[in-house]
Amino acid sequence: MASRPRTLRDARKVYGNNAELAWWVFMRLSGFLLVFLVFTHVFANNILTNAGTIDYDYVAERFAQPAVRVLDSFLLGFALLHGVNGLRYSIDDYFKRPGVRFWVKAIVFTLTAAVFVVGVMALWTFTFDQMGAAVRDLNGAQ
Amino acid sequence: MYRGREGQWAFFLHRISGIALMLYLLLHVFDISLVMWGPDGPFNDFLLFYHQWPFRIGLVLIIAGVVYHALNGLRIIMLDFTDWAINYQRAMWYGVLVITTIIGIPVLIKIIPEIIGGS
Repeated sequence: MASRPRTLRDARKVYGNNAELAWWVFMRLSGFLLVFLVFTHVFANNILTNAGTIDYDYVAERFAQPAVRVLDSFLLGFALLHGVNGLRYSIDDYFKRPGVRFWVKAIVFTLTAAVFVVGVMALWTFTFDQMGAAVRDLNGAQ
Repeated sequence: MYRGREGQWAFFLHRISGIALMLYLLLHVFDISLVMWGPDGPFNDFLLFYHQWPFRIGLVLIIAGVVYHALNGLRIIMLDFTDWAINYQRAMWYGVLVITTIIGIPVLIKIIPEIIGGS
């Protein structure tokens, strides 16, 4: 957690809103959901499959299934939010100097947001070939 | 506060596994997303690199971390939302370790030959 507030004003800032309570509830709710989402994911890709044989065709075939896309989308969103908030707790525990803490958080949050965007793109705009063909069709239709 | 007993270890393993899982997740989403560059893109080269045995053993550790973090997370939820669970928190933590091991053994039996077999 954040370092202990030393003044009433600091304390109000830390405890004066419900955001931390909301995150606390979110960690439990998302954690419960993630147990099922992650176990399904790990079982499909490590037990039903030899993870050492996974290649482009395997992933392409999986992402061609709408159910996988939907499940993986929930997985992506919940896991990244749950994980980035867990890292936020950890950063508050281990980085005490405000300047360092700010920059470590800035890097972690930026990286997480970037990975989220890349993940959504991979799940929902799977082949750039198809997108390219669609753009060509549009241009050809003019 | 925990005085170095089971609760401290439960917290420590939860923290370490959580950080490891998040770092793995970021890398995993990034490398799977390389499918966007198509079958002739960097995807297969990347995965071939990760199919080497040190990374496969790393993946086994990640799976162990997933199972522990999930089960201990369920323990935390029970501690937070029931009146009675706190009385059994130590027993429940040993339960988490036992179930993690029970799940882990068949997973190892499945995966270790794959790594030794080199595929």
